[in-house]
Amino acid sequence: MRGTMKAAAAVVALTFASGFALAQGSANKGRFHFKKSCKSCHVKGAEGGEITPLSKTQEQWKRYFAKGVHNKGTQKLTDVLPAEQLQDVQKFLVDHAADSPQPETCG
Amino acid sequence: MRRGVTRRQVMAGAAAVAASAALGPQLGCAPLARRRRAAVAAEVREVATACEVCPNKCAVLAVVENGRVTKLNPNPASPKSRGMLCARGNAAIQALYDPDRVKGPLIRAGARGEGKWREVSWDEALDFTAQRLQEIREKYGPEGVMFSSTEGFQEEFFKNFALAFGSPNLLRHPTLCLASVNLAYSMTFGTVPSFDLLNARYVIMSGANRFESIITPDTMDLIDGTMNRKAKLVYLDPRFTVTAAKADEWYPIRPGTDLAFILAMLHVIIREQRYDKEFVTTRCLGFEELAAHVESCTPQWAEGETEIPARDITRIAREFADVAPRAVYYAGRRSSWYVNDFQMRRGQAILNAIVGSWDREGGVVPNSRIPLGELLVLPWDDPTAPRVDEIDSRFPLAARGDGAFLQARDNVLSGTPYPVKGWMVYKQDPMNALPDRGKTRRMLEAMDFVAVIDTQMSDTAWFADVVLPESMYLERTDPLHMLPGIWPVVVLRQQVVTPVHDTRPNLEIIQGLAKRLGLGDYFDYTIEEWIAEQAAELPVENPLEYLKKHGVFALEGAPFYGKTLAPGYRFLTRSGKVELVSARLAEAGHDPLPVYHPPTQPPQGAFRMVLGRKATHTHAATTNNPWLIEQTPTNDLWIHPEPAGRLGIASGDLVELASEVGHVRLPARVTPEIRPDCVFMLHGFGKISPWLRRAHGNGACDADVLVTAWDRVSGNAAFHETFVTVRKVVEEASHA
Repeated sequence: MRGTMKAAAAVVALTFASGFALAQGSANKGRFHFKKSCKSCHVKGAEGGEITPLSKTQEQWKRYFAKGVHNKGTQKLTDVLPAEQLQDVQKFLVDHAADSPQPETCG
Repeated sequence: MRRGVTRRQVMAGAAAVAASAALGPQLGCAPLARRRRAAVAAEVREVATACEVCPNKCAVLAVVENGRVTKLNPNPASPKSRGMLCARGNAAIQALYDPDRVKGPLIRAGARGEGKWREVSWDEALDFTAQRLQEIREKYGPEGVMFSSTEGFQEEFFKNFALAFGSPNLLRHPTLCLASVNLAYSMTFGTVPSFDLLNARYVIMSGANRFESIITPDTMDLIDGTMNRKAKLVYLDPRFTVTAAKADEWYPIRPGTDLAFILAMLHVIIREQRYDKEFVTTRCLGFEELAAHVESCTPQWAEGETEIPARDITRIAREFADVAPRAVYYAGRRSSWYVNDFQMRRGQAILNAIVGSWDREGGVVPNSRIPLGELLVLPWDDPTAPRVDEIDSRFPLAARGDGAFLQARDNVLSGTPYPVKGWMVYKQDPMNALPDRGKTRRMLEAMDFVAVIDTQMSDTAWFADVVLPESMYLERTDPLHMLPGIWPVVVLRQQVVTPVHDTRPNLEIIQGLAKRLGLGDYFDYTIEEWIAEQAAELPVENPLEYLKKHGVFALEGAPFYGKTLAPGYRFLTRSGKVELVSARLAEAGHDPLPVYHPPTQPPQGAFRMVLGRKATHTHAATTNNPWLIEQTPTNDLWIHPEPAGRLGIASGDLVELASEVGHVRLPARVTPEIRPDCVFMLHGFGKISPWLRRAHGNGACDADVLVTAWDRVSGNAAFHETFVTVRKVVEEASHA
């Protein structure tokens, strides 16, 4: 698994440098980072309170990331996660926000 | 019964085996099974698991004697499955021991479709498959391989493999089944709800033949509701189905005009102010626009379209509104009918909304869920290529992850926007599931490589380069699955017996391929690790042990209604309200309110072909099952006596059915139980694969004559847009 982590990091670095991925982000990777890093505090009953993509609308998430502060303004978001991971998390949260066009499927 | 063993013979054989354990297999219900379990507890092992014959995932208790499954019983612990196991669920035991199963990996040894196969080891099959996938990836990019699948607990591994491989081209079954209804409810309420048939007092169905086409808890609730509690059922269908027979009122509606009926109901309810004013005012967006939109949709107008008398439309609208919120316009399952299907389903959703039948007992209810844990796996890079079906521009509101299968097929055949030369198929038979089998076959033949993962030699597998046999559901353990609903449950499908043949669970097949393609790290876990993480958060002591013992976990207490009616609740739509009018639809170039377009009528002398299912063969995969084929041995063509007389056709005559894409031959059934302008045949027959010995050449295949058409908004296949001619086959009949 370590080898793939390295390869994934290299791809992220490359696309980050190109600017394309920076503008788009990866919802798949964002989902991973959100669940791995954010959900440790943001679940029901935990210190940060439950947060899911549905907690905000798309515009609200965009404003949140543009503002760039966390923990009631006491912390910069970039101190919580590296910039490229934040980009991915933003993509995931915006794509799945409360007003996002995500039709349900089945199975 | 065409060949093979009958159920009676199988039962006799099973009884002989069981005699050594002083136990004979019984067909019967749960109480009988319980008595039997008590009597022979020492000799019999019973394993809780979950059925996989249809998407309903009913809970099952598998009886195992001497390492062999002898009976499948319903598991009364599951509130979802209502203590029942349908005919197909019972007959799954025959699929397990069917001599027609694929018994080990196969590589094609002759021309495609010639039927020459080489039995190979798993290593050779996986090496071969990985090598061919890699060749296509190097030549055309990862998007040069298309992946298609049908729902199943192990489908997730297949989907993840497609994405990790780098292909965006994943095509799933909803695009052939219920994508239009899913999208319509998502666009209106922000979610796809359930219908509380157990508590409804008034049910309207358009063609959803729930007493006959598929037996699920909805069917059981409907039977309970209409038979025992005298709920009213109004049924619209060009055919007199079993549901029509059980309904209070049946209207042989002119095909494709259901939206006119719905708009006229809206007209009456709004004109007479019978709608739920509080719900409309506080929860809905666009009521004024809706009222103006349906102002001209009078019952008299709708009568001209539907052939349902205006006085009946008016009366039904009044009754429906007066009984609400215990009144539902039921959506049904397969909603792949017409090119305007999405708008018809939107009309149903809007009707349910304005009478306030939302999130209340007996109405349309947003699903409850039981959270599951998740094993976090290494995330792969997103595919970079656009989808071959061009879904973003052609169907921008549709579910991207499901795709638009028919558009994809057209694009693959034309090489647009890029070549797709590889196809992996999981648990799906596109040769039967898609319309125009000739076109599907041309796509198969245009592929450089086709791999099929399945339990049997389907028609698609018959044309593949490699067949990777998956273990049948009773032979493997799958991920946990949470079934959302009014009564949500979590079910465990655990392994009941060791595999009968040299087969593998899908996860192991995927892991074998991933390892060979340098993608192994994305699948570096076991099924046990996956399940342990899923179960960890269930609110029960020792959740995994609980599930292994009971097979199902359900929350205690009565269903909860009204969570979306709490003050300040935000619906998951753009506006946060129930969207009667949709700005998002308008932006995508579609009607923001459902607009009725009269369906194209068949040319002079032609018929509209309508499809339907029977619960023994709801899906095409069961027409080789010995017990089920005994119940429904073949298909025939329903035709009304009036046109039959004009064409000189009598019941039993061989007739030829022809459309612009193909023709089939099958016996006629002359019956007044269908409109004179329609013909009907059952799905799933006329199989090509000779390895399906009971289904091969038995009856006619609807996909041979169905034309390619799709719903404009969702891209969902439209199966009721085919016009056919019918003629008596005189020469064959005289030689018979």
